[in-house]
Amino acid sequence: MASSRLPTATFSLKQFLQRQKVLGLYRTMLRTIRQVPNENDRKYLRDWARDEFQRNKGATDQDAIRMMITQANMHLQDLQKSLALAKS
Amino acid sequence: MASRVLVRCVRSLARPSARLCAGNVTLRAAAAPLPLTQRSFSLLSCNQRTRQTEQTRVPGSLVQVCRQYGDLPPLTLEMIQDRVMYVLKLYDKINPEKLQVASHFMKDLGLDSLDQVEIIMAMEDEFGFEIPDAEAEKLMTPEEIVQYIADKKDVYE
Repeated sequence: MASSRLPTATFSLKQFLQRQKVLGLYRTMLRTIRQVPNENDRKYLRDWARDEFQRNKGATDQDAIRMMITQANMHLQDLQKSLALAKS
Repeated sequence: MASRVLVRCVRSLARPSARLCAGNVTLRAAAAPLPLTQRSFSLLSCNQRTRQTEQTRVPGSLVQVCRQYGDLPPLTLEMIQDRVMYVLKLYDKINPEKLQVASHFMKDLGLDSLDQVEIIMAMEDEFGFEIPDAEAEKLMTPEEIVQYIADKKDVYE
């Protein structure tokens, strides 16, 4: 039995993929925030993103996590849009 | 008035063009394709400008084309390691005393996956290139980061 050898805390494939997605989202978020011109704003946004991710760290419900990913994507798009507007 | 200006321009054209033929090959090449009858006023003024710059310049043979390239000392493995460790020491959630080259970010230093993402981003800032997501997830110790950067920058012992 291969499955019995796995530790009990192992993710299922779905959870694992979701985790990748969240981490990727965080990375994209930081990359986007890096383009913000003002130093203070940058720090504020970085702390904000970090807090948001940290706050929901313990979430286990897959649907809730999916909702949060959607929400984060919306925030990200907002940020990208306002950055693009600020540049033009 | 206009005719006087025109005459002056034509005169000024006659002199520099002689000099152009004698001297600067590239300028001559640029001027050659245009037949004399078609030279417009803008070209005349352009010629005047080249004459002015030519006068301020030292004679052609002494002019050296000076190119300035950015220069960096070649990367070595030790230097990469020093820079990686320096960035890690400045990261506020890492205890500098506990930090070893081989210490695992999560198991030994007690960081979480978000911290690891932040560390990789800091490395990107420090070394000035992007680390793709798939690679970034695997980098868990300072050692691995050093090795990865050395591979990317073609640094071998």
